[in-house]
Parts: sequence; C-alpha cells; structure tokens
Amino acid sequence: MVPALFFPWCSSLRAHQRAGRCGDGRHGPKSALRAVREMGSSGLAACALEGPGWLQRHLLSGEFDQLRNFTVFESNFVQVTRFGEVANKVTMGVAASSPALELPDLLLLAGPTKENGCLQLLGLFPLQFVQLYIHDESRQQLKVKFCTGRAFYLQLQGPAETRDLEFGKWVRLLYHLHFQAGQGAVPFTQEWGDEDEETGGDQEDREWDWRDQLQDREARLDPQTSELWGL
Amino acid sequence: MTYAYLFKYIIIGDTGVGKSCLLLQFTDKRFQPVHDLTIGVEFGARMVNIDGKQIKLQIWDTAGQESFRSITRSYYRGAAGALLVYDITRRETFNHLTSWLEDARQHSSSNMVIMLIGNKSDLESRRDVRREEGEAFAREHGLIFMETSAKTACNVEEAFINTAKEIYRKIQQGLFDVHNEANGIKIGPQQSISTPVGPSACPRSPRDTGSDSGCC
Ligand SMILES: Nc1nc2c(ncn2[C@@H]2O[C@H](COP(=O)(O)OP(=O)(O)OP(=O)(O)O)[C@@H](O)[C@H]2O)c(=O)[nH]1
Ligand SMILES: [Mg+2]
Repeated sequence: MVPALFFPWCSSLRAHQRAGRCGDGRHGPKSALRAVREMGSSGLAACALEGPGWLQRHLLSGEFDQLRNFTVFESNFVQVTRFGEVANKVTMGVAASSPALELPDLLLLAGPTKENGCLQLLGLFPLQFVQLYIHDESRQQLKVKFCTGRAFYLQLQGPAETRDLEFGKWVRLLYHLHFQAGQGAVPFTQEWGDEDEETGGDQEDREWDWRDQLQDREARLDPQTSELWGL
Repeated sequence: MTYAYLFKYIIIGDTGVGKSCLLLQFTDKRFQPVHDLTIGVEFGARMVNIDGKQIKLQIWDTAGQESFRSITRSYYRGAAGALLVYDITRRETFNHLTSWLEDARQHSSSNMVIMLIGNKSDLESRRDVRREEGEAFAREHGLIFMETSAKTACNVEEAFINTAKEIYRKIQQGLFDVHNEANGIKIGPQQSISTPVGPSACPRSPRDTGSDSGCC
C-alpha cells in the first residue's frame, strides 16, 4: 500500500473529517447519521465521514486487481451545467499509477448505477490529457476538460463543516498539477478569461455530459428503466 | 446482485471503429452517433447468463488513438476476453489487426479468448473488407469471428456472450485457472469460501453498517 503521506496535499483530509465529527460534542454514529440526513437520501454522501471513500472502497472490493492498490484522493460531486443546474452524482478522484510519482497521474470518475445506486467506476483517464480548473470558487465548482474538447462542471458535495476544507485540498492539488504541467500557475477559469483562448485550439469547448447525460439522467434516477446493470 | 464468475474484457482496435458504441449498445441498448474519442479507459458492466450461471462482465473500453495507446496497453493485463474490433468500411483498420493482436498477446494471458469483430455491418454499401477476409484472419490466428453493427445492435449481444461462453468452456475444461488473478476471472462473492469479501462500495444506511455483506 502507498502511505497516505504520499499525497502531502491530501494526507490529512479524512483525519480532519473525523476530528470535526468528534469535536461537535455529539460523538460517533449519531452525528454521522444527522449529517447523512442533512444530505437528504444521498447514500454517496455518507461515506465521506468514514475511512476510505466510496471510490477507494470500490477499488478495494476485489473486482479491480490492477487498481486496488491505488491511493485515491476523492470527493463526491454533482454534475452541474455551465449555468449551475444539477444533473447527476459523480465521484471524482485522482490516483498515482506508481508509488514513485510525486503527483497523481490518473483521474477516476465513478457514479451510481441505474439499477441500485451502487457506485460504479466509469472511467480512468491519464491526467496528462485532462485539465482541471476551479470554475467557481464560491460555489465550489470545478471544471474538467479533456484534451478532446469535452468539458463538464462538478460541484462539491458533503457536509458543510468539512466542505471548505475539502475544496481547499482540490485547489491546492490543482495548483500543483498546473504548475507541473507548465500551464501557468493559476488554475482558475473565470478570472483568467476562457482558458481556450490560451490554448488556441480549434476544438470547440463542448459542454460534455457524461455519456449523453441528458438522456442518461432520467435513466439514472429511475432504477427500473434498466434491468441490465446487475452490479 | 451475486454472480458465479466475473470476467474482465478489454475492447481494442483502431480509433473510430466503434468500440465505445459496441459497449454502449451492449450495456445501455442505445447508439451514439457522435464520435467521442476515448482517452484512457471507460468501463461498463453487465450480467449475462451462461449455462444457468450468472456471470458479470467487467468491460474495459480502451482508447484506440495512437497517442493514448502506450498508456492503455498497461491495462490489458488480467483480461479473460478481448474484443478486437475493425471497421468493415475502412481497410486500414483491418490492416492494423496484426499489430493490435501482437500488443494484446504480449500484454495479457495466453489463455485470453479473443473475438475478432468486423463492425459497422449496416454500412454494406461502403464495405471495404469482405467477410471472408475477416474469417480467414480469425482462422489463421485462432480467434472467434463475427460481424456486428453497434448501430442496429445486430450481433452485439452475441459477440459479448459468445466470448463469455468460450471462456466458460475453457474454465470447465480446466484450461483456465480461476484462482490465478492474471487470467481475468474471479469467483463471485457467494461462491468463494476461502476468499474474504472486500469492503463494499455500496451506499448503505447507517443502520446497516454492522453487516458485512454488500448490497450488490
Ligand atoms: N453506421 C455505423 N456507425 C457506427 C457503428 N459503430 C460506431 N459507429 C460510428 O463510428 C464512430 C466512432 O465510434 P466510437 O465507438 O466512438 O469509436 P471508438 O472505437 O470507441 O474510437 P476511440 O475511442 O477513438 O478508440 C461514431 O461516430 C459512431 O457513431 C456502426 O455499427 N454503424
Ligand atoms: Mg471509444
């Protein structure tokens, strides 16, 4: 296993979450339960309070040999349109394919299955082909842009007490990644105009919904529509 | 949901031949007319029934474009089945099969079952590779062969399922060691007695956290 220290920018995230939970005077499961209730019925949100995240656990479940030793820094998001409308849940994480790396080199995306809402790994993408930006700091939104022009927006989810801290980790990570990639040290989309002007690509910056999200959306929310995703 | 076995599949072949469309048709029964170049790996999963046994197919749809190929290659390891796809309307995608096959054989188990797929069979008027050529290539290299259309769904189910049948047959003949992870086969959580079940990644209500069994 890769030691947690390996990702200096995320090593203390879970610890902070635990501290926050104990520090509010109501210990253990009770406050966790309350936090879950506050999140509505979102099962995915519950995991942020306990040990490894959903994605990490999914990889550890034994179905993904090659990915099981990854240390994943992950958060739960909802996909939003450019104008902030909410589409669907996405868990996004970064991982390093080798313990020798100082920074993560892979982006992982996962989402609930249509059938029963269990988390399913959707994609694994080399970070060298993906750019991550802070899209709207106040709303805690990130922009994910693939080198092929696909782009989508994710808004951080989670208990209010820990969300700022968690978003801060992403911001730090993005600074590191942008610095490493030589993209200029500031990973923001808004203050710096549209980053597409910098890259000067003729690729349309299409808003990309994960696998045709608009169609998928109903399907995802209605487990009855597909009997196929038997996870 | 429980399953007897899990088979890892990879889908490989040139960019634009329809790998992602085949996966989408198989898992979601729909067609995507726009080419969204895959970078890295996209995943799909579906249960199939072979001989009364539930089998979960875990499918790794890889990027075909040359610039992503060196990275995706490393994920061929541990696949039990491969769909090697070309486009019947583009001869160069057929000509590149040998190089894909070499890659696949080099980076995965020698037992891997490979299904050669001539995709886009709906575009008969634009056909550039005859069916017999595909058949001959498959025969020569010991592959199974089918022509499919991810657009009309013709033979898509069959391609995935026949590959699973062949893997299953090999297991029954003792050609696949199901306990060797490198073979891309896993015994389902209910079937295995000695293998501990890992932590579940399924959402549960806090009340359930005492239980050890996943909801999947
Ligand atoms: N007519 C027809 N078009 C197809 C078929 N399968 C795929 N296509 C089209 O071919 C194009 C490429 O399909 P993809 O599935 O994205 O190709 P891919 O092999 O995944 O390509 P990479 O991800 O770049 O490796 C898309 O425009 C599809 O609509 C088919 O069976 N018939
Ligand atoms: Mg593709």
